[in-house]
Amino acid sequence: MSEYLYVGKSIPRTIETDKVTGRAIYIDDLKRPGMLYGKILYSKYAHAKIKNIDKSKAEKLPGVRAILTGYDIPDVRVGFIKDQTVLKKDVVRQFRDEVAAVAAISPEIAEEALGLIKVEYEVLPTVFDPVEAMKEGAPLVHEVDARGRPLKSNILPLPWKFYAGDIETGRKASAYTVKDSVSTTWVNQCCMGPSGCVAEFDMNNNLTLYDQTNVIHLGKQRIMEYFAQIGLKGKKVRVVNAIVGGSFGTKLDTDIYEFICMQLALKTRKPVKILFSREEEFFALPPRQPAIFDIEQGCDKEGRLTFRKCEALLDNGAYTSWGATTPSVMMMPMSSLYRVPNVSFEATCVYTNNIYCQAMRGYGNPQANFAVETSMDTLAEEAGIDPAEFRLINRNQSGDETPQRLKITSCGLEECINSVKEKLDWDKKKKDKKKARGVGMASLIHVAGGARVYMSDGHGIMIKVDQNGCVDVFESGTDQGQGSPTVISQIVAEALGFKPEDISLTMGDTGLSLWDAGTHASRHTFMAGNAAIRCCEKVKKQILDMAVQYMPKLIKGGFKRKKRKDPDFVQPDLDYSLISNPEDMDIRDRMVFPKSDPDHPYFKMDVREIVRSGLHVGVGDSRVVVAEEFYDPPTEMLDREMKGNLSMTYAFGTTGVEVEVDEETGEVTILKLIAAHDVGKAINPTLLLGQVYGAVYTGVGYGLTEEIKVVNGRVMNPNFRDYKMLTAKDVIPITPVVVEPGDEAGPFGAKGIGEPGLVPTAPAIANAIYDAIGVRITDLPITPEKILTALNDKQ
Amino acid sequence: MIDYDYKKPESLKEVFSLLKEYGPKATLIAGGTDVMVKIRNTKKAPEVLISLRGLKDLRYIRKNNGYHIGALTTHRMLEQSDLVQTELSALHDGASEVGSVQIRNVATVGGNICNAAPSADTSGPLLALDATVVLEGPEGRRSVPIADFFTGTYRTVRKADEVLIEFQIPAETESFGSAYWKHSRRKAMELPLLGISVALKLSENKEISDARISLTVAAPTPIRAYKAEEFLKGKPLDDDVLREAGKIASSRDCCSLRDSLRCAAWYREKIIQVFVPRMARLAAERIRN
Repeated sequence: MSEYLYVGKSIPRTIETDKVTGRAIYIDDLKRPGMLYGKILYSKYAHAKIKNIDKSKAEKLPGVRAILTGYDIPDVRVGFIKDQTVLKKDVVRQFRDEVAAVAAISPEIAEEALGLIKVEYEVLPTVFDPVEAMKEGAPLVHEVDARGRPLKSNILPLPWKFYAGDIETGRKASAYTVKDSVSTTWVNQCCMGPSGCVAEFDMNNNLTLYDQTNVIHLGKQRIMEYFAQIGLKGKKVRVVNAIVGGSFGTKLDTDIYEFICMQLALKTRKPVKILFSREEEFFALPPRQPAIFDIEQGCDKEGRLTFRKCEALLDNGAYTSWGATTPSVMMMPMSSLYRVPNVSFEATCVYTNNIYCQAMRGYGNPQANFAVETSMDTLAEEAGIDPAEFRLINRNQSGDETPQRLKITSCGLEECINSVKEKLDWDKKKKDKKKARGVGMASLIHVAGGARVYMSDGHGIMIKVDQNGCVDVFESGTDQGQGSPTVISQIVAEALGFKPEDISLTMGDTGLSLWDAGTHASRHTFMAGNAAIRCCEKVKKQILDMAVQYMPKLIKGGFKRKKRKDPDFVQPDLDYSLISNPEDMDIRDRMVFPKSDPDHPYFKMDVREIVRSGLHVGVGDSRVVVAEEFYDPPTEMLDREMKGNLSMTYAFGTTGVEVEVDEETGEVTILKLIAAHDVGKAINPTLLLGQVYGAVYTGVGYGLTEEIKVVNGRVMNPNFRDYKMLTAKDVIPITPVVVEPGDEAGPFGAKGIGEPGLVPTAPAIANAIYDAIGVRITDLPITPEKILTALNDKQ
Repeated sequence: MIDYDYKKPESLKEVFSLLKEYGPKATLIAGGTDVMVKIRNTKKAPEVLISLRGLKDLRYIRKNNGYHIGALTTHRMLEQSDLVQTELSALHDGASEVGSVQIRNVATVGGNICNAAPSADTSGPLLALDATVVLEGPEGRRSVPIADFFTGTYRTVRKADEVLIEFQIPAETESFGSAYWKHSRRKAMELPLLGISVALKLSENKEISDARISLTVAAPTPIRAYKAEEFLKGKPLDDDVLREAGKIASSRDCCSLRDSLRCAAWYREKIIQVFVPRMARLAAERIRN
């Protein structure tokens, strides 16, 4: 293939100038005529009966336009397993339960009104520990299920189970086995832009929701379903993204505040905005799912894995969002990270009176990876094999089909592990060990070519070219800051033969797009890119059809004009058959040319000249250049056994870390961090590195500092002062390594890279700390207190 | 709606007359990095904020028969001052660690001290440097040793009609070396879990001739660890001695450590024991000539 002009180039981001100069319209900036401001009153208890709600005083406050409680709106259940209502009127089950909502002419008045609503509670017994919650006689978080049938236990009816091969066979074949228990905690996605939306109904009760969702079409679907139950069946819904200040999983579910906002707008007949404060962002938005793992692995004398058995326990909190589905992703590293023939994985989700959880970058992978990769280290030690060597022995390879039936089409894992070894000077550091210094690594597998979790994992795209040569791309995904407008522009420019600056992208609008399953699961570049390439072929064909028709005329017309100016001009004798068949023509960098003679002195023409001449040409012959494409990859839904090739390709990567531990204070310093990733092909290297750096920072936070402190169900640190997200000053010396084996299925060979950087970071740090000081911290985050305690216990 | 009136007087005299006029309804504000945060958190504001930012002549760092630092000197000015860095190193350490550059550009040292948070990053260093606080009221000036300035958490001896105008640090500090350690979980936008300052002087035979140790977040107010200081005097600067000083400083004789959501008391104790010696060593290294 000829060299790419735009793919693989670090073209600067296109729309970010507006962001950095403050012009971009986030939900915070969005104002609609007559708009009101909504605020939510949350529960005062982790578990209580609501005996009475008195809103009379609040209603009298000047400026208040509506106050809603569970008694004022239809009693409709929402959520992943429909286990909650929008406003709670009988029982609250967690501190973030939404009890009432106010719409007022200013946020301050709405806030003041909240303080005037009187709620009488009768406190109920609570349970916060998932282990306790499973026991007989534990207080029940829910008395009945979605259909009103009585419940006897807090265990969710979501038994996640995966089996492949036979554990006993694996055990028998093992020369070494290890058993570990590890746990991970709640962390917040920490989006720069807080959550919010503006709901606006027209006089026919059709809704426009200005929103931040990364699943516009699924979000619309959920709203339509909700509408059908509240008497708005058949009403039209349009979901439009404002500029989104980060998502990282938070925008995957349609959150309760969004339904509340719609109800307030419906009640007041005015547009209503709800915008979260940072505190709400911490306590009223579902964070990453915590999990407790018991993991057992074995290997034979040569170090080949024989089995992996793991049981996970997930604190579901009081209701169910996407957090409860993270085991479906945990199965991927459990079954398919490294070659392991016999696998058993079971996960149990348990209701408690804690906050509930949802998606976050990596989904369940970081949690499960922490279990698998710390266990890999303990097993390597047990077997007396160097941890890097142990991973190389068991590495995944191109052509593998894993126990989950994932088809590994391309795999750069070996190169990733080896480059980490080389860049960390692994062998030397292992041999000449310095006191309190250590190295560790961890690898990952993740979906990188879509993830078929819905019947359609497709992406629809429409592309038009107008008479000025402007290319408008209507794509069905969303931009939450990841840089897709730039990347997709590069892909379109390359595939269509235009320049990136010719391309305008419209994203995040259900009214202007076809179907897309969502900008999640690291799938957008892969899906939209593939759809774009295929769509560009159709558009290009239309342009070339026009070129064949108009180019000879344009060229000959040019000669005539020249002849008029210069009577001596002799028209060259040209072989017009070169440009008579669209198949023989191509477009590159805005120029149309014959493939057989790309630099032909007369037959190379600016594509804008062709569209200018060919589009608007009178009755009958005028036309538009437009095409649509729907790319739905030939992947498989997971079957009943949770097996199937759900993605077109998989990303691999290895993080290596060198740490120094201060044994007096327990503080960990990261001296070096190598992040090696098989990315298929980097469409935009700078943006790709941005994904890696950002993900690594979050991964280091996950490993060392970040933790939502939940005490008896209440979030105790709902601010950036006490929630220790790393700052710019906490410089992590990251060396990225981009491995580009190329993947046949990817757009220009690319794989998805949004999530991988985070996944193996925490276990790599844990493994390095163990190497440094000989104690293993199995509970995230690895705080200095935990290290000192472990060192003390060791002595 | 959070609402308040805002006055920006140009002279101390005007400040005093405004304070007299509004009495308890008024709050003084300098950089605002504590006052504004408090207003936002409590959703309550005083009727009037009297800004001291018009008192431009209270921003200075001078060496003239001792050191003089104007109350409105920003943390950033302290951070960027060579004089502070070399001769009042602990204060430089403390000022440089506050929040972020944006915060240090507006936050003043006077504000940091008057707010009297047990965790204030300049309080420990000023204690170790034996600073004196100069207050001025309608009746005139008075000086208070900073060790007597704090009376409780967020409480000081400053009277409602007084303004902190200057910090004075004795000339003999020139022969001291000093250092401050802010123990925290990340490197910016942080409150210390514990702050340790040490200032000391060595005799010709390398014995500790004078030492001052101060701790923040170790009691309801920033404190001096007098017993540990006493212990050090006349002793050689060696590991055993320093370790013992750390132990004394972390004991109930000197501080009252608490468990909190941010940090357990046992860990705070450990940090004092580790960093009193480390800061003493650093302070000794920093003694000039």
